[in-house]
Amino acid sequence: MATTTATLNLSSDMLSSPISISASSILMKAGITEGLELIEMGRGTIAESDGSKTAEFGLPTALGVDKAAKLFLVNKATDPTYYIDIDLHDTNVGRLYAGDWMFIPWGMNDTASELVIEAEPSGATCPYEFVLLQEPQTLEGHS
Amino acid sequence: MATTASISISSDITDNIPFSVNANMTMYQAGTTLDLEETTGLAQRTFSGTPSQVVLIDVSATAVTPAAGGHKVYIRNTGTDKTKGFKVFLADAADDVEEIGTLYGQDWMLMPWLATDANEDIMVLPSSSEKMTIEYAVFHQ
Repeated sequence: MATTTATLNLSSDMLSSPISISASSILMKAGITEGLELIEMGRGTIAESDGSKTAEFGLPTALGVDKAAKLFLVNKATDPTYYIDIDLHDTNVGRLYAGDWMFIPWGMNDTASELVIEAEPSGATCPYEFVLLQEPQTLEGHS
Repeated sequence: MATTASISISSDITDNIPFSVNANMTMYQAGTTLDLEETTGLAQRTFSGTPSQVVLIDVSATAVTPAAGGHKVYIRNTGTDKTKGFKVFLADAADDVEEIGTLYGQDWMLMPWLATDANEDIMVLPSSSEKMTIEYAVFHQ
């Protein structure tokens, strides 16, 4: 079985008792103890002039119903004012500012699960890197 | 008052293509290099009984500046059972529901959160009527 492990170390000294979180998980297929088997990774660039775009990685379809996937996405811009606006279909998730990353489970069930990205503000260009880890989707018969 | 997060992903999915991810970030206020200064602290909720979709993090009940842009949310299924999971949604309790994905036992997530209004409340749905626990924190400005 393939073993993929995602580990987080988070610390914050905002409180008088600092927060320290260490979390680690072996990433499995949905609801079973078999490891994920697919990796898709790459790098892209999106400019504010591009407008909002459906992310080119992991296009969700009905073939992803009840399948597990995890997405890592990082904004590689260096200007702290540049951000990538992240939408899940038509709902805004949040903004990845320069250097920010996110790691989420992704229910790639249908087009309503599409990830939409947009660089902001005016004039911004944001390089980004992504890794999509998933279990194989349902296979279709060939045409 | 720095808040930092690092991620490490390792995998042996492929024999011949080395793969690892390591990334760090410092959580800043939107568009600046000023540290985030507020947090909910680490919280925990336990669910049991008939599963239903519930608000875990309510925009209106969290002292975030709506749509400020710098907020981050951490959520983890603290259970060890990989067959049970929490579906996580961005959703208003009444209507618009967008499923983010499912956190199985020990799975965690860290994501930005715009927190504009109730349509971006964070909701969860446990997969089992048995006791399931989730922990979460919001780091915000």
